[in-house]
Amino acid sequence: MKTVLLQDYEPVISLLRPLFRNPLIFELAKRDFTEKYSGSTLGFIWSFIYPLINILIYMVIFGTLMGARLPGSSSIWSYGVYLVSGLVPWTAFANTVTRSSTVFLDKKNIIAKIHIDLPTLPVYILISESITFVVTFVIFLLIMFLTGFAFSQYLLLIPVLYLIQQVFAYALGFFLGMFVVFLRDLKEVVALGFQIWFWFTPIVYVFDILPKFAQQVLIWNPMCAIVSAYHDIFIYQRMPSFFYLALVLIGSIGLIIIDYYIFKKLEKDIRDFI
Amino acid sequence: MIKVERVSKNFKLYHSPSERLKEIVYRKKYHKDFTALDNISFEVDAGETLGIIGQNGAGKSTLLKILSGIIIPDSGTISVNGKVTGLLELGTGFNYEMTGLENIYMNGTLIGMARDEIDLKKQTIIDFSELGEFIHEPIKTYSSGMTMRLAFSIAIHADPTCFLVDEALSVGDAYFQQKCMRKIQEFRESGGSIIFVSHDTNAVMTLCDYAILLDHGKMISYGIPRGIVDLYISRICINAHQGEKKVNLVSNFNDIDNHTNISTNEIEFLSIKIYDLSKNVITHVHNEEEVILSFSFRSLRLIDDPTFGILIRNRYGISIFGTNSYLLNKKNKPVLPGIDYKVLFQMKITLQPDDYLITFAIDNKGKGINSFDEYLLRLNDIATLKVIQNEKIPIYDGITDLHPTISVETMNNAIEPGVI
Repeated sequence: MKTVLLQDYEPVISLLRPLFRNPLIFELAKRDFTEKYSGSTLGFIWSFIYPLINILIYMVIFGTLMGARLPGSSSIWSYGVYLVSGLVPWTAFANTVTRSSTVFLDKKNIIAKIHIDLPTLPVYILISESITFVVTFVIFLLIMFLTGFAFSQYLLLIPVLYLIQQVFAYALGFFLGMFVVFLRDLKEVVALGFQIWFWFTPIVYVFDILPKFAQQVLIWNPMCAIVSAYHDIFIYQRMPSFFYLALVLIGSIGLIIIDYYIFKKLEKDIRDFI
Repeated sequence: MIKVERVSKNFKLYHSPSERLKEIVYRKKYHKDFTALDNISFEVDAGETLGIIGQNGAGKSTLLKILSGIIIPDSGTISVNGKVTGLLELGTGFNYEMTGLENIYMNGTLIGMARDEIDLKKQTIIDFSELGEFIHEPIKTYSSGMTMRLAFSIAIHADPTCFLVDEALSVGDAYFQQKCMRKIQEFRESGGSIIFVSHDTNAVMTLCDYAILLDHGKMISYGIPRGIVDLYISRICINAHQGEKKVNLVSNFNDIDNHTNISTNEIEFLSIKIYDLSKNVITHVHNEEEVILSFSFRSLRLIDDPTFGILIRNRYGISIFGTNSYLLNKKNKPVLPGIDYKVLFQMKITLQPDDYLITFAIDNKGKGINSFDEYLLRLNDIATLKVIQNEKIPIYDGITDLHPTISVETMNNAIEPGVI
């Protein structure tokens, strides 16, 4: 019965297949970096400088200067760590989705001239944002190490967590991307939506300080589950709740399958409009 | 090989793209249909070149886009064994801040080359483009000719099985164009197929093995380039015709299957005769001799400012010489109805021995080369002019004799020793 199972996953497999024989997305991802800083002397070292300064600002201003503390913690760094460990994954997620949602319009000049497999196109953004994420996270871990923060073995779960988050980002970004081609206003809606979504995710505040009804609403936010998992690893040094993460993953795969069917229906129109 | 079967494409014209979504939601039609291609079928074998001609809006670009996979046809199939690349994507994805070499990688990847393939071919690409050390400079420092040279070099080295060429190759200077043409020739000899889209009818006749004529999305005709180009030009004349009586395509008595001649049916063509200067009908002429071409006709109406033209073409359809009485500044008396006339063209045949084809046309009110108020009659290739070698004159290379003189002289002011 294995073949039947395989056929069930055919949409997902056929989405993934062109990825591995597609040098184009790697070239585009590479260019995403080199292009941003081409002509400048420091080149892509700038992509290290930005996160470094950002992390330092959060840690120093919130921890040392404002003296913000996490409930139940006395470390002056703890709020800074809380903020950064949620903000960095959020930024990777939000950037991946917003940039994927406009990728077909942004790469119009290529799509209108050469045959490109459209479902794989957003993957280059995924790769490029992941590189930024890794660089930022490595810097973050270094700073944590210097400030004497305790590490736990749960840190090894971060790649899994990040993968789930980015599968969700791809599913959502591709979904929005198809509709932005027809409805350009959606671009602004997405940008605004992310502003609101940010405040509906426990990044700058702690989940527990929310009133009961707000907590019940936030439970339905997939990013709440993901950001909380990062907090579990960094702040509370405990195993994240895999139940919610599994739900996010299953939901994302479901969305990719829906994406696939929408794409089959709209591909001709998307290419005509671009 | 590339095979196109019953391909059709309709564009839905919306006021804005969002109406496509409205259509899905409300299940109501919000668009106007526009047929860009209607049931197109053809086949290009390995090593063959197919020309596609047609006026603006005929569907040429749509066809090229479908062939390169940018847009998807509504129905029909396209089968290609191998890669299709085209000159329409020349330099796609070029970033002007980045060096030529970096752009070889980007553009090469875009047109479907693997990274190691580019590693292998990049030196050949650089050599062909003749950019030398400039390859390490950003493209923004290049002239437009240099950019095109680089783009073309990448495209031709991508090893396609089918190459789509859009419009004339305006790549760099004449020298580089020659080089490109040689490379394209090489590509064809090694079994590559070419689809060539152009308004340049002479280029189509020189390059292509077959041609198709598109008009408003329909394939009007398929055949040898000469016939297709004649048909194309005839159709343009029909559109430009301003007379009261409609001008139509007619078949001529020479080739029935080639309906490329036009006529308003107001002129009855009687005969064509080729004479020598002593008025004997001849079957062939020696080069450098004079001939008289005599066309006789009868008109059913008054033609107030008649213009008579001839065109001599070679066997490939390339125009060798054409003129008309308007260009020669000869004002003709009006042609009266019901009277037989004959028009005589006397000329010296300074042509390489070969078979040439004669085209004859009668028009009203000339305005320029092939431009008149009324196109009354045009008969393509109604007779063959057979030119054979004149024993009295030396053989030469090329198509026409320019009658050169050659002399060798000693230099008057010889170079003085020590002063160079």
